[in-house]
Amino acid sequence: MTDVSSLSGSSRDVASQLFRARAHSVEVEARPRAEITHKPRKFNPPMPKYYYYYLMAPAIAILAFISLYPFFWLIIMSLQDVDIGGGEWIGLKNYTKLFTDARFIDGWILLAQYSIMCLGLQVGLGVTLAVVVNSSKYEKYLVTALLMPMMMAPAVAGLLWLFLYNGTFGWYHWVLQSAGILDSASILASADTAMYAIVLVDVWQWTPLITIIALAGLKRVPRDQLEANMVDGASPMRNFFAIILPNLYPVLLIAVLLRFMDNFRFIDSILVLTGGGPGSATKILPVYLFEVAFKFFKLGRGAAIALTLLIVTILLGKLLVRVFEKPQGGKG
Amino acid sequence: MFHKPRNAQVSRVSRRRFLELGGYGATMLGTGSLAVGLNSTIMSSRVQAASSDEAKWKQYAGSKLTFLSENTPPSFAIRDNIKAFYDLTGIEVEILTDDLPVVQQKAGIDLRSGKSDYVLNYIQDKPIGAPFADFYVDLSKMFGDETLPQDVDGYGDDAWFDNFLSACGRFYSEDKIIALPYDAAIAVTFYRQDLFEKYSKDFEAEYGYRLEYNENSTWKNVLDFATFFKKLKEGGADVPYGYAQHQGSFAWTTQLDIQRMMFAHGRWTDFNMDDKIGSKEPGPTNWGDEQSVLMLEKFKALADVSHPDNLANGTLELNTVYQSGNIAMQVQYHEFAASVEDEKTSVAAGGKTAYAPCPKGEASWILNGGPAVNGTNCGIGGIGINANAPEDVQRAAYLFAIWSTSKNIQYDVLKGLGGTPTRKSVLDIPEVQAAKSRPSAMPNALTFDAVYNFGIKDPNFVLGPKITEANEYHSLIASETQRMLSGEMSPADTAASLKDQIDGLNGV
Repeated sequence: MTDVSSLSGSSRDVASQLFRARAHSVEVEARPRAEITHKPRKFNPPMPKYYYYYLMAPAIAILAFISLYPFFWLIIMSLQDVDIGGGEWIGLKNYTKLFTDARFIDGWILLAQYSIMCLGLQVGLGVTLAVVVNSSKYEKYLVTALLMPMMMAPAVAGLLWLFLYNGTFGWYHWVLQSAGILDSASILASADTAMYAIVLVDVWQWTPLITIIALAGLKRVPRDQLEANMVDGASPMRNFFAIILPNLYPVLLIAVLLRFMDNFRFIDSILVLTGGGPGSATKILPVYLFEVAFKFFKLGRGAAIALTLLIVTILLGKLLVRVFEKPQGGKG
Repeated sequence: MFHKPRNAQVSRVSRRRFLELGGYGATMLGTGSLAVGLNSTIMSSRVQAASSDEAKWKQYAGSKLTFLSENTPPSFAIRDNIKAFYDLTGIEVEILTDDLPVVQQKAGIDLRSGKSDYVLNYIQDKPIGAPFADFYVDLSKMFGDETLPQDVDGYGDDAWFDNFLSACGRFYSEDKIIALPYDAAIAVTFYRQDLFEKYSKDFEAEYGYRLEYNENSTWKNVLDFATFFKKLKEGGADVPYGYAQHQGSFAWTTQLDIQRMMFAHGRWTDFNMDDKIGSKEPGPTNWGDEQSVLMLEKFKALADVSHPDNLANGTLELNTVYQSGNIAMQVQYHEFAASVEDEKTSVAAGGKTAYAPCPKGEASWILNGGPAVNGTNCGIGGIGINANAPEDVQRAAYLFAIWSTSKNIQYDVLKGLGGTPTRKSVLDIPEVQAAKSRPSAMPNALTFDAVYNFGIKDPNFVLGPKITEANEYHSLIASETQRMLSGEMSPADTAASLKDQIDGLNGV
């Protein structure tokens, strides 16, 4: 330790200045440790539970008003013969009537066909495109191009395809006819082909969503696993099924769930393209629901259809989650 | 002591204060929009019977009304000319236009929820009038009201073309009038007389009569024409198809398409009731009887030799097919003559198209003992007033209703955008008389003789059932007929299925 008292005059002052901190520090070090008599104040002390409920109350109230209230009102309406002006209580009659309504049953069958075709094609094409884009040096440009159909409002997409399919001046009609796929009638004019036409529009517009989600999933596939597999002599195909696809399951689950639910509620392009026709060839259940509720103004019957649709959507959603979770669960 | 620059004197607005002000502003704007934007506003200075006409027109100056209409030519033309109404009355009218299904949904929700956001409504007879008739004001109470201006031509049946007032104004009661005829779409035959002349000899050699069309031509003749052209086309000739139907898009135009053929044969109708008034309890339907089964068979036979896009072509698309030269004949609504005669967009323009009444019934196809007529149907769009609105709003709306259906406005619309008049007096105007012959400054007038002097008159006029379940009824007819045309069901099964479903719909 420096002894400043041995210095003289101004030198001592300078030394005092220079070593003051040190000297002070020594004093502090020498002092006995003070006993802490009170708890230091925390910045975020835990608050009682009710305080959080107060904070959440406005949001919960708004959510209840815009979501739960209509939901319960929907249930009540489904038990009434109701129009907007009022209703008469009829119990479960709306539901029992549905089982004898051929258009309701046909609507379910068509919805199942439509959803299976859309989902199958979108997942297959979407994952394939994601793999192609992922390995391309033009990835950024390809992703931008792929996003374009998704940016379009479904009703506008419907109008665009309506013109492309038109039997008089539609370009796709001309292509399909020249290729011998269509005879003289346009694709929307035949009950045999109209369903494929609306599936194609959905696939065109929403496959990019699957691609983008799968592309994000591909970025997190562990390279070491891929390299180890390749060192073992696995083919690219084997690599895809053994390494890439299992790693994609979680993201694909999200993509499939999103598209599955969309297929159960999106009707914009179908209304524009076919209105559910010819006959009832494309009258999937949501289209029929729209007709019943907003064309025929049978709101009670519409509510019953909507609730059955909701229940089935939830059950199938749960089933899908279980199916996708299985491979993950197996790996622990 | 020193001069302070002006900027320095301005007190700063804190971020919190800024957000508060923004919040107040947004709240006031939102409240204002709700109060002013969604509802009609009314300013009133009541007048006496002895007041001048000008005072009667001006009694609601400063008011604002909303008119919800289909996107038809009159609404566009009136919107362009809305200043004339404002100058006359001082009332501001906002005209909202959309496709008929959207108009139907918006009007339905407004009416049935007890609101009057849309005070004035476009009331297309069956899609809007039939289900919502009880929600409109009885205009007959305002006819002759001395505190309101009145049209010099009046509002009785004689003021309008035959059956128009009943079609859009009378629902389930003779006494109540809920709408004034605003525009009209009447079915009429458009055919390519150039092609008919060209192939007349070939046709005569095969069928034994000339390839000509007139008011005595029957649906059997149309079937022959369509068969002839299809055969030529399949033989490699560069000819269009002979005929095409309206089986796509709107369910009610699909229903109208089959109805005019059914009615032409023995005046067959869906129910045993007066279609012009309609009924809330129509009773059992006639679908399933032997006449209806035979008609479905003939309709299917005609579809099989018609343009192959029948099931995708709605009214507008069908007209495009005709304009592009892909069919030689169509039964179409007379408002489309203006577009067919437009040489820029139509190969059928320039005198190639002739207009004649709808085909007549074929005597040998009539099983019910009725007469053969030229079944002609229509859509008559009326203008009516929402009964949920307060009385003064209804009276102000009445001013617009009578102005928009007046002779001079209808003439302006006909001249400007190719409208379709509903007042008889419009046809008395010399320029309109002249336009009925080529060259015509108002091409829609080329159809007027076939339409106003023949088709819409009894016994040819058919409206279609006015029933409260009209929209579901149209949907059933459209889907079952289309299924038959697709080959999914036989005509007999289709008729039986329609009988079953329509009776179920009406609680029979």
